[in-house]
Amino acid sequence: MASSSGNDDDLTIPRAAINKMIKETLPNVRVANDARELVVNCCTEFIHLISSEANEICNKSDKKTISPEHVINALESLGFASYITEVKDVLQECKTVALKRRKASSRLENLGIPEEELLRQQQELFAKRTAVTSLKAPVRLAAASLFTPRNPRPAPNEQGNHVNDS
Amino acid sequence: NANKIKRTPDAKKSISLPVSRVRLIMKSSPDVSSINQDALFLTTKATELFVQHLALSSFNNGSGKDSNTLEYSDLAKTTEENETFHFLTDILPKKILARDYLKTLEQMQEEEEEADL
Repeated sequence: MASSSGNDDDLTIPRAAINKMIKETLPNVRVANDARELVVNCCTEFIHLISSEANEICNKSDKKTISPEHVINALESLGFASYITEVKDVLQECKTVALKRRKASSRLENLGIPEEELLRQQQELFAKRTAVTSLKAPVRLAAASLFTPRNPRPAPNEQGNHVNDS
Repeated sequence: NANKIKRTPDAKKSISLPVSRVRLIMKSSPDVSSINQDALFLTTKATELFVQHLALSSFNNGSGKDSNTLEYSDLAKTTEENETFHFLTDILPKKILARDYLKTLEQMQEEEEEADL
């Protein structure tokens, strides 16, 4: 029975998650309630089993953190070698996704650095624009189109410069 | 809610059990200190495979197959017969005893009633 004492030993995988997995594995099969409850508890047992074994392997290897290698060896020594291939696939997928995320975030960082540069350049551009307004209109517009500031602004009006309102 | 089944964009399309909960359970094991994140994913996936394995094995080898039902007794049977599942023995007997005891009780009551007639 589920306890509300918050004891560590009462930690289990949520029943709903287990039910879903059982349903996907045995579609259209009725499952007795006490059988479901048992599967939930078996999961916890399994996790403890793997953790303990992996932990032992980890201790022997003089490392402080349980690594994927330790878990794989644990699976092997406990008779779950058949899981290893599929489990490794997930690891590969996680690594691929993690790599993509790192690339994506470093691209963002690369945009950030020139941002300061862009700001500096923008200041330069407006300074140049001031110089350009003294030219005749068509020439001025053509010159203005050569400078594309980060925030596109309408072409300078006839009266004078655009004031940088940032 | 961190304990709900997560379908986070970063990856775990192939993992449906909540990784955070698996981590909590692992850490409640005696002496377990730190776990590498990838090791955690591996364990979670292994647990999923275990559930599938246990359910399939129990159903295919059990008597419930005829009635298209997975019964407690099917699980108990597969645990006994399959060496890799022997680690589960400890969490089984009590329940079996209770069930058997209740059955015995019922039988005893029926016998008493019959005797009274």
